[in-house]
Amino acid sequence: MARIIAVTGKGGTGKTATSALLIRQLAKGNKVILAVDADPDTNLPETLGCDVSKTIGDIKEFMHSERDNLPPDTNKESVLKSKLYEIIEEMPKYDLLVMGRPEGAGCYCYVNNLLRGIMDKLVENYDVLIIDAEAGLEHFSRRIFRRVDDLIVVTDGSRRGLRTAERIRELVDEMETDVSNIYVIANKVTETNREIIASTAKELGLELIGMIPVDEMLIRKDLAGEPLFDLPDDSAAVMEVERITAKLGL
Amino acid sequence: MADEFPFEISPMFEGERIRKEGMHVELAGPKSKGFELVRAADMSEVEDGRFTLIGPDLKDMEEGSRHPFAMVYKIAGELVEADLESIVERRNHEFQNYIQGMMHLNQRDDVWIRIGKEAVGKGMNSFEQIAKAVMMLFKNELPFIEKVEATYITDMEEVEKQVDNARDVYKARDERTRGLHDEDVDTFYGCTLCASFAPTNVCVVTPDRISLCGAINWFDGRAAAKVDPEGPQFAIPKGELLDAESGEYSGVNEFAKKLSSGEYDRIKLHSFLEYPHTSCGCFEVVGFYIPEVDAIGWVDRDFAGTAPNGLQFSTMAGQTGGGKQVVGFLGIGVNYFRSPKFIQADGGWNRVVWMPKMLKEKVFQDIPEDLRDKIATEEDVKDIEALRNFLKEKKHPIIERWVEEEAEEEAKEDAPAQAAAPQAGFALPQMMQMPANFMPSAMPMMGSGSGGVRIILKNAKVTVDKIIIQKQD
Repeated sequence: MARIIAVTGKGGTGKTATSALLIRQLAKGNKVILAVDADPDTNLPETLGCDVSKTIGDIKEFMHSERDNLPPDTNKESVLKSKLYEIIEEMPKYDLLVMGRPEGAGCYCYVNNLLRGIMDKLVENYDVLIIDAEAGLEHFSRRIFRRVDDLIVVTDGSRRGLRTAERIRELVDEMETDVSNIYVIANKVTETNREIIASTAKELGLELIGMIPVDEMLIRKDLAGEPLFDLPDDSAAVMEVERITAKLGL
Repeated sequence: MADEFPFEISPMFEGERIRKEGMHVELAGPKSKGFELVRAADMSEVEDGRFTLIGPDLKDMEEGSRHPFAMVYKIAGELVEADLESIVERRNHEFQNYIQGMMHLNQRDDVWIRIGKEAVGKGMNSFEQIAKAVMMLFKNELPFIEKVEATYITDMEEVEKQVDNARDVYKARDERTRGLHDEDVDTFYGCTLCASFAPTNVCVVTPDRISLCGAINWFDGRAAAKVDPEGPQFAIPKGELLDAESGEYSGVNEFAKKLSSGEYDRIKLHSFLEYPHTSCGCFEVVGFYIPEVDAIGWVDRDFAGTAPNGLQFSTMAGQTGGGKQVVGFLGIGVNYFRSPKFIQADGGWNRVVWMPKMLKEKVFQDIPEDLRDKIATEEDVKDIEALRNFLKEKKHPIIERWVEEEAEEEAKEDAPAQAAAPQAGFALPQMMQMPANFMPSAMPMMGSGSGGVRIILKNAKVTVDKIIIQKQD
């Protein structure tokens, strides 16, 4: 069974960078990985250094606008599946799927229902899924993914950031999706805030699984818009992510 | 039996995705050409088990390469007929996916196939193996097939030559499929995808009636119900035909009772004014009765303006939605305009007097030719008075109804005694006196000769603080 890992957190905390580093780390092994960009605001493809032209949003729109033009007895699940497979970006070490734009007006119940069935089967073709998810976890409440094995909340060093993690934990309780574990990764950690983060997390009952330090190399690449996939193995952030994947048993 | 093949065959491989990394060859697909086609033939024309390959075989294909690919099967048998072709063709998709190391996507001239490196490593080296396996499955699983032969094509020129013929076959099939009507089938399909927010909704999908959301046609219902009969789409045996004109079936009524938890026990599939279909909230278009002209207007989700009754889509949708049976409003899918049974109980297109210009353009070809310039849009009229004049000026068939009703009205005045007995024609003029936005949902006056009066208010939209019904002394 595929291990489904969702990475979330509020904007600006570095969850896309963290997702990219997790994918980078896992791609070194023999696992078959599906990377999913489930945040319409972020740029996982660019961070990974690959080009994606079409999204699930686009194919849902296609199904919506073309449905009356398809042959009447078309198996729509089969068409949707084929379109979905077409937009999966196949990189040497991982596949990438972008959820894309939110749906337009009209009813998407049927298409979403087909999509759930297709995703259920697709997911099982992979060892690990890394999902870069927006903080509202919309695709989970819509049950496009029916379960999450590990939900990782990325936070910056602020108390507010950790509060967000707490709120996400509450949100998860309200969702129908099964979430087995919730972890927190603190990002942009410095020597000054390291201890406070650790103690606040403890106080809030959050399981802190890693502290990614401020990394000059990462900042430079980010500023230049270069993919983080190319970071060297001895970058401080990369090394911490390596420890995190080990802790996660990946 | 499968021992003769160097690969396993099982439904458990159906969801198998072959990634680019693990792929030996890619056949047809979005970046090449191909098709699949099943043709029914005479017993004498089919040589059972024969396989022909036109073009290079799998073993001659380079790892990582892409090729055109067509699969043509000829089937014969006493019970084999042309209508079965598309059903058998769908099974090619299934059976090829049963083969370990083979991925088959999509259908017809959109097929897309990949064969995995691993399968080739285990000895899959010829298309003949695949064709023989599929032919074996055809005969095992579809016993009406007595003989089958296959031709696979990997030569671009030959694929291109034959694909046009295949497209002609698909086109002819689609025309036959479009000719399927409610009376031709014994099963309709229900859908409960909207049940969470429209708990009493009874969505019935028939060959002549697409779902309100426009997403599910009868074939979609059939396909889904077959895969998962307990899923959101399921079969409704249509039962006895109670009224052909309005589309009332005993099976639908039974399901209506069940799905609405007893709220509704009658649904007429092609009726607007009497026991109409429930409206979920997902509908693409909402129809509204305009009492002043005794006709029906339609407004779609994309139209932001105001209909001649002074209301917007969103307002009417709010009144109509929630899974209720609301006489005077009806949610539909755009494709229902194309149905030959389109609100036929209430006069069909002859009852339609207004729709937004964009919607009218979308369904223009489906409007009977003599009515096309007689249906007003927001560019022609803004209110009911202008609409009435437009209809008169264009001689819309609806004006014949006005004459009849006026005559009835007069007849009533001449013979007041008649008014005591409720008639079918009585309800409408009464509604006409009310403003459209206060239209009552349904007031079937079930007067009978003996023993009192029964007043049923169903889904009434009128807000009333208190109703007092008392016997007058």
